Amino acid sequence: MRLEPNRGPIYLQLAREISRWVARGDLRPGDKLPSIRALAERFRVNPNTVVQVYGELERRGITYTRRGQGTFVREEVDVKGLRRALLAEAAQAFLEEVSALGLAVEEAIKTLQEVTNARQPKRGD
Amino acid sequence: MLASLSGVIKRYGRVEALRGVDLELKRGEIVGLLGPNGSGKTTLLKIIAGLLLPDRGRVEVLGAPPRKRRGKVVYLPELPYLPGWMEPPEALILLERIFLNFNEKRYRELLRVLRVPDRAVRSLSKGERGRLELATILALDADLYLLDEPLGGLDLVSRDRILRSVIAAWRQDAGFVIATHLVAEAEPLFDRVVFLGEGRVVLDAMAEELRERGKGVRDVYLEVFGDAGLPVA
Repeated sequence: MRLEPNRGPIYLQLAREISRWVARGDLRPGDKLPSIRALAERFRVNPNTVVQVYGELERRGITYTRRGQGTFVREEVDVKGLRRALLAEAAQAFLEEVSALGLAVEEAIKTLQEVTNARQPKRGD
Repeated sequence: MLASLSGVIKRYGRVEALRGVDLELKRGEIVGLLGPNGSGKTTLLKIIAGLLLPDRGRVEVLGAPPRKRRGKVVYLPELPYLPGWMEPPEALILLERIFLNFNEKRYRELLRVLRVPDRAVRSLSKGERGRLELATILALDADLYLLDEPLGGLDLVSRDRILRSVIAAWRQDAGFVIATHLVAEAEPLFDRVVFLGEGRVVLDAMAEELRERGKGVRDVYLEVFGDAGLPVA
């Protein structure tokens, strides 16, 4: 995952990436997140930025922090809901591109289907 | 407040290297000091380190003149500073004698993490030498670390290791100022960026605030210094 400095605050980009980890099950409810320092080193960002990331995740109800122990994924986190929310964000971005190209939604859905078909391995032949 | 400068002017003969600089450095901050060659970055860092005296204005580190705070503020020069014949263990002996706050254990750990070979400085590659010199500075228990172009001319892997080492060395109660031309690469490290142009502070802003407006530090740098700036990575 590449951080794009011209695509908005880094802490939001990182918060989205951690949300993805939870959405696809790489981080499960109750799991402990890396320490602030470990995450900062891994993504090569300022530790203060990671503090903001964990704050944002807590604000979104995905994690909670226990002083002196670390940050954990909430037991009751709605993984399905999170997956749907992230996908909806991606869909939003896609549709904005569609609109920027001056195309209609029907065209977009058609293209989506074509690209999906092209990705399937060919059968028989 | 770790350090503060107010109205600092510095001349070299008739050339004004710094023309009235105001700056505050706080604990826990990593500050990017950015600007074209000749903009006064090295002069500014040396004044904060107490290696140069301003002609006008005030500079304080932890509430006193920098020279009274030797050891609390440390400076890593741009040009190689260790003698060619020296080997890393000998550098240890030298630095222990000079600095009271040299942490031997951390030095060895840094040499290991930065993968510095145990050979004389003259036989090291540019990247290995840069990593060794960074290790000597980060091994000091200081409050303020001033790094003057720690990435310049080094290979990609060395630059990556150096940036990660700075993050690993970061503490809530310490401050870092990094002068660099590699704006895009070092950008995610900075809490704050200070742009120096012809001896003046042209911009002093929190990095994330710039990004909130959809611009990376690199983009803002190009806007500010445009054609006058050096090629920016």
